[in-house]
Amino acid sequence: MASSRILFVVSILLCSFAMHSCYASELFSNLKKSILVTSSAKHGQVLKSGEANITVTWSFNKTFPAGADSTYKTVKVKLCYAPISQKDRGWRKTKDELKKDRTCQHKIVKRKYEASKNSVTWTIERDIPKATYFVRVYVFNAEDKEVAYGQTTNTAKKTNLFEVEAITGRHASLDIASVCFSVFSIVSLAGFFYLEKRKGSSQQK
Amino acid sequence: MGDIEGSPGSSMHGVTGREPVLAFSVASPMVPTDPTAKFDLPVDSEHKAKVFKLFSFANPHMRTFHLSWISFFTCFVSTFAAAPLVPIIRDNLNLTKGDVGNAGVASVSGSIFSRLVMGAVCDLLGPRYGCAFVIMLTAPTVFCMSFVADASGYIAVRFMIGFSLATFVTCQYWMSTMFNGKIIGTVNGTAAGWGNMGGGATQLLMPLLYDVIQRAGATPFTAWRIAFFIPGWLHVIMGILVLTLGQDLPDGNLGALQKKGDVSKDKFSKVFWYAITNYRTWIFVLLYGYSMGVELSTDNVIAEYFFDRFDLKLQTAGIIAATFGMANLLARPFGGYASDVAARRFGMRGRLWTLWILQTLGGVFCIFLGRSNSLPIAVTMMIFFSVGAQAACGATFGIIPFISRRSLGIISGMTGAGGNFGSGLTQLLFFTSSQISTAMGLTYMGIMIVACTMPVTLVHFPQWGSMFLPPSRDVIKGSEEHYYVSEWTEDEKQKGMHQGSVKFAENSRSERGRRVASAPTPPYATPNHA
Repeated sequence: MASSRILFVVSILLCSFAMHSCYASELFSNLKKSILVTSSAKHGQVLKSGEANITVTWSFNKTFPAGADSTYKTVKVKLCYAPISQKDRGWRKTKDELKKDRTCQHKIVKRKYEASKNSVTWTIERDIPKATYFVRVYVFNAEDKEVAYGQTTNTAKKTNLFEVEAITGRHASLDIASVCFSVFSIVSLAGFFYLEKRKGSSQQK
Repeated sequence: MGDIEGSPGSSMHGVTGREPVLAFSVASPMVPTDPTAKFDLPVDSEHKAKVFKLFSFANPHMRTFHLSWISFFTCFVSTFAAAPLVPIIRDNLNLTKGDVGNAGVASVSGSIFSRLVMGAVCDLLGPRYGCAFVIMLTAPTVFCMSFVADASGYIAVRFMIGFSLATFVTCQYWMSTMFNGKIIGTVNGTAAGWGNMGGGATQLLMPLLYDVIQRAGATPFTAWRIAFFIPGWLHVIMGILVLTLGQDLPDGNLGALQKKGDVSKDKFSKVFWYAITNYRTWIFVLLYGYSMGVELSTDNVIAEYFFDRFDLKLQTAGIIAATFGMANLLARPFGGYASDVAARRFGMRGRLWTLWILQTLGGVFCIFLGRSNSLPIAVTMMIFFSVGAQAACGATFGIIPFISRRSLGIISGMTGAGGNFGSGLTQLLFFTSSQISTAMGLTYMGIMIVACTMPVTLVHFPQWGSMFLPPSRDVIKGSEEHYYVSEWTEDEKQKGMHQGSVKFAENSRSERGRRVASAPTPPYATPNHA
C-alpha cells in the first residue's frame, strides 16, 4: 500500500515538472538597454531613509533606431541591490529569468512611457533596508512584459553605487516598556517566592 | 515494596507494557481508589488521579494539566516566534544567511542545558516553582527583542529565549506527581504533543500580529518588535497563573507539606551509569534527533522557505508553516497508538518496525518537499512529512519505557536532549551556508533522516528480538526478568531494591506480542533470588 502511494506521488511530481517547463519567462539578457538613466546620488553617497531623497532622470537613448520604442507603454523605476548586498543573501539573488529575479525589490514609481526626459524625486522610504543600491528602469509593453531597461550603474554593477542608512526600528518608548515589563516579571516572581517562604516558615512556628 | 519515591525515573514507575498509550482511566481493582479523599476525580492512595478528564479544570489534577501544557505551549510560541518574521528581521538587522541559520541553531541549543538543570530544580523547589521560574525569568529575554540592532544581538536573544523550553521537564514532572502511573503515558504524551503545537501556532500568530500592528501605523522595522511583546506578556500571565492557581502535589505545596517516611533515594551515579552503558540509549538519542530534531529545525526554516521559494505573502507563508506544527495535535498520539496496535500482534518487534517505517517515510517526504517545484505539491509533501516525523516521536516514546526501568528518567531526558542536539546539528549543516539553498537543505535533511533511522535495526532485546532477529531461545537470558534485574547488583538485590523491576518485567511480557500465552514460566517467580 505504501509503494502504490509513493508511485502516485511520484507521478504527480513528474506531471508538475512537465507543466512547469511549458511557461517560458522573459529573460533579462533578451532586454534591450535602450534607456539612459541617471540619478542624483553620487558614488559612495550615504542617504538616510525617511529623510534624504533621490532624483532619477530617464529618457530614450537616441542612438537606437527611431521606431524601436513603438511597443513601449509603461515604465517602472526600481531600487536594486548591488552585488555586495546580495552576497550570502539568497533572497536577493540575480537570475536571468525575470520572474525569479530578486535584484530589484523596491518600486520607486510607475509611469507611462515617454521618450523625452522624465524625472522623479523620491524620498527614501522607512522600510528600505540598509544596503548598497543602484537604480534601474524597466520598460513594459502592452501585455505587461518587460521589453527594455536602463540603469544608473555599468554592466558589472561597480559604478555609481550609493548606500542607504536605514532606520533601526527601535524607539525609546519601546525600550522603556520592555524594561518595565521585564522588571515586573522578575519582581513579581521574587515577591511570590518571598511571601510563600514567609508564610511557610510562620506556619511551621 | 521497592518503589523508591522521588528517585530519578520514578515518575514513570508503574508504567507497564499493558496499558495502551491512549489509556484515559485505570479501573478500581487494578489500582484501589482512596475513599477518604475529597477530590473531584477518583484518586489512588497517593492522591494521584486515576482518570484523565480532558475537558475538566478540576483542582488540582486537571487544572495542573492545563496550566502545565499551556505554559509549555507558550514557551514554544516564544522560542519560534522569530521564524515566520525572518523575512522582515533579516532586512532590518542586515543579516546574512549564516546569521539566520546560526540564530536557529542557538534557539534550540540553550534548552539542552536548561532541561538538564531543570530536573534538579524540580527536585529541590518543586515543579510549580520550576515552571514559574523558567517562564518568568525568560520573559525579559523575549522583551529584549525590542533592543536588538544587529546579528550578534539577535543570536544572543534567541539563545536566551530557547532556555524556556526547559518547561518540558516541569510539564512531565508535574504530571507525574498528579496522575497515576498507569495513565501517565497518555497524560504526558498529550501534554508534550499539545505543547509542541506552539511551534505551529506561532507561525500563524506572529505574522497576524505584525499585520495588525502595521495597519495601526507602525513601520515594518518597528512592527515586528512590537509583535514580540505578545509572547512576552503570555510568559508573565502564565507565570502568575501557575503561581496563584497551581500546586506541586495533590495535597498542597512542597514547602508546606512534611515529607513522609523513609525516602531512600536511588544513587544518581548508578542510575546514570546504567543509562549510558546501555547502547540502546545512544541509538534512541540519535533517532530522536531525526524525528523531534527535524521537527524543530523545520519550525525554524519552513515559513521563510515558502515566502522565498513561492513568493507568498508573510501571512500565507505563516499559515502553511503553521499546519506543519499543528499536526502535532493528532500525529504524535497517532504514532503512539500505531506502536501499541503493532505491539498487540507483534510485540516489541512490531514497535520497532512501526518506528522505522514512520520515521523513514517522514524522511522520504522531506526529500520530496525539497524537490517540489509547485506550491500544492510542496504543501502536500510537507503535511506527509510532518505526520511521519511527529508520529515517529510518539512511537519513540512507546519504546523508551522498555529500555530500562531503573534509569528511565535519565534515558528520557537524554533522548529529549538528543532531539535538540539533532536540531542544532541539522540547522548548522544544511541551513546556515549560503552555498546550499534551503530547498537543497531540506533534501539533504530528508536523506539524513533516512540514514540516521537505520540504526533502529540494531536495537535488540534478548527477550523480544529486534527488527530482523528473533528473541533468544535461552530460557534464562531470554526472559524479561533477566534483562531488567541485571541492572541491580547482588548487594542491591539483597536489600530488595530490585522488586519494582521484577514486577515491571512480569507486566512487560505483553511485548512478546501474540506469543505471551506460550511464554515459559521464568525461574524468577520467588522474590528473593540469591
